[in-house]
Amino acid sequence: MKKLLTILGITLASMAYSQGGTLIVNNYSAYEYRGALIANNFSGGCYPVIGTNDPVIIPPDSHIGNGNALIYTNYRDQFGTSLYPMLNWTVSIAANSSNVRPWNHGSLVPGGVISNNTKWSGTKFEMYDLATSSYVPDFHANMTVAANPCNGVMDYFVTPSGANSAEMFVITTSTGLVETYLQLY
Amino acid sequence: MITKFIIPKTDYSKNLTMKKYFLSALIAVLTLSSCSNEGSAINTVESMKSPQMENFDKAFKSLGDPQNRPTEEERKRNTSELSDRRKALLVPASKELILSSGVTEAELTRKTGGDMSQIIVWATQIYMQKSDEIRKNIKSEK
Repeated sequence: MKKLLTILGITLASMAYSQGGTLIVNNYSAYEYRGALIANNFSGGCYPVIGTNDPVIIPPDSHIGNGNALIYTNYRDQFGTSLYPMLNWTVSIAANSSNVRPWNHGSLVPGGVISNNTKWSGTKFEMYDLATSSYVPDFHANMTVAANPCNGVMDYFVTPSGANSAEMFVITTSTGLVETYLQLY
Repeated sequence: MITKFIIPKTDYSKNLTMKKYFLSALIAVLTLSSCSNEGSAINTVESMKSPQMENFDKAFKSLGDPQNRPTEEERKRNTSELSDRRKALLVPASKELILSSGVTEAELTRKTGGDMSQIIVWATQIYMQKSDEIRKNIKSEK
């Protein structure tokens, strides 16, 4: 019990400490998500920008409901805690500067310079149909949360047929906890 | 009953040999069927969730239902924050989940002040903790 409380305490503390908050991706669709997850600076220019260095692949029907959601509490701890560990991140501190940094790089720790100056902001993805081994026509998008000063694309996307949609939103508490969601329906 | 067959007998009458074969076949079948039972009894996070957890899932999924999708007006707002209308869709299940963890109604009101975001985020944390526990239990059973 004590152990559990300690773990919970550390988790909560690290959640509160990481400025970008937790990212949760729920894929409720019947297709595989293949894409990139991106965070950027929202105040004082758009850099740093940080994104997943390898493609993120989330199988169909993977969400909190079956325990298969992608959950990144921060850039570092995701490697040990997430079902979708990301080994390297692409970090740009300026328009013409881009570096690949491992998950345990000093700047990526909660409280580190990259963590403190970025928030989860967007995704670029395509959806893949495992049944037909082909990409789903029309179900691909470049999205960002609303009011991102650095990216004007939509936070909501629906396929022309209306069969599938995707959205990004944030839930923020008055105590400063932030959860960013990407939902694929 | 079983010891009767395990104790070596010098007198192997045909009948007894048959019985012996029958018994070992029976043991084999039992072993196999117990293995396959184990297969079907393997618990998944999905099957071990409480009804409150299930409702919480459903609430999040329901945000994609046509009537719950963001309206034109909501999409014009210049904020990434989930709209109050849509937060309200998550609140009942979130409250249920928090209360099911042993928190009292009074404590819930005191800690969140009725703030929808606080309630949802608190419920999410309880949810993640519970699914982690389930996953650990499944691992330790294997």
